[in-house]
Amino acid sequence: MKSTDPVVTRFKERFGDEILSVEEFRGQVAISVKAGRSMEMLRALRDDAECPFDVLTDLTAVDYLRLDHPERFAVVYQLYSLLRNERLRVKAYVSEARCEIESVNALWADANWLEREVWDLYGIRFLNHPDLRRILMPDNYTGHPLRKDYPLKGRGERSNFPKYTVEEPS
Amino acid sequence: MGLEKLLGDGALATRVSALVNWARGNALWPMPFGTACCAIEMMATLSSRFDMSRFGSEVIRFSPRQADLMIVSGRISIKMMPVLLKIWEQMPEPKWCISMGACASSGGVFDTYTLIQGVDQFIPVDVYIPGCPPRPENLIDGVRKIQEIVSKEKLSDTRHGS
Repeated sequence: MKSTDPVVTRFKERFGDEILSVEEFRGQVAISVKAGRSMEMLRALRDDAECPFDVLTDLTAVDYLRLDHPERFAVVYQLYSLLRNERLRVKAYVSEARCEIESVNALWADANWLEREVWDLYGIRFLNHPDLRRILMPDNYTGHPLRKDYPLKGRGERSNFPKYTVEEPS
Repeated sequence: MGLEKLLGDGALATRVSALVNWARGNALWPMPFGTACCAIEMMATLSSRFDMSRFGSEVIRFSPRQADLMIVSGRISIKMMPVLLKIWEQMPEPKWCISMGACASSGGVFDTYTLIQGVDQFIPVDVYIPGCPPRPENLIDGVRKIQEIVSKEKLSDTRHGS
C-alpha cells in the first residue's frame, strides 16, 4: 500500500486536523492521529466503501518515554482489509496526564482482550470497554509493568503476593 | 542371612523401615508441575528413549492426592505460586520435591517483577537439578537422589512440619 492510496487520501481529507503524520516505510503506511476522535476515525476506516478495514489483526501500545514523540503513549491499531488485501497501521497518541482512549470493542470484537492487555501492562484506560479487568497480571496487582519507568525487578511484588494458607481443622 | 534358613521359604527377616523405604523409593509417583521448557525434558525422561520407569517413577499422577513426588519444572510466576502451594498442600505425606532447572531453583535469567526467585522460598525442596533445561539424565539423577533420601527415612519421621 502507498501513502497516495485513495483510502488514505479520503481519510486525510475528512480528518485533516486530527492527523499528525502519514508515513510510508517499505510499503507499509502508518497514520499517526490524535486520540480525541479515534473512534470516529477507525469507524470510517472500517466502513470505507472501497477499502473496508474489516479485520483488526492486532492492538497494542508503545511507551515513548523521553523520546521525541507528540505524546508519551501511542495505541497502535494494525488493520487489514480482506477485500483489498491491504494493511494499514494507525497510531493514536495518548498523553500521560489523560491516559485514556475510546474502546474499539464495538467495531472489532477481538479488541476486547487486546485492550485488556494494554490496560494491564500500560495503564491506558479504554472508555466504554465492557469488561476492563487485568488479563495477565494477578487481579490485585498494582502498577503497569510494561511502562518504561517501571523497575524491572518490580516494587516488591515478588514477596508481597497473597499466599495460599492451610486451614487446619479445629 | 542366617535367619531365613531357620524360618524356611515363607519368611524374610528385615527392618520394617527398610522394607517400606524400599517400596516407597522404587515406586515414586510424580506430580508434574511443568510450566516451561523443563517440562519438555521431563516428558522426554518419562517416554521410552530415557524411560524413567526403569527407576519406578513413570506413573505420572495428575491428581496431587495420588502423588508423592512434586517435580517443579519451569518458571513459577507470582500468579502461579498460590496454585503450586495449594497442590503441594493437597499431596499426602510423605512427599518429596524436586526443583528442576534454573528457573524453579533461582528464577534463572528472569530476574523480573513477576517471577518467583526460587520455589524453595515457599515449599521445602529436597533436590535441586541445575541446567537450562537439564538433560533427561540429570532428572534421572535427581530421582536417584530422592531415592537415596527416601532410603534414609525413619518411620517415626514426620516430614515438612505436619
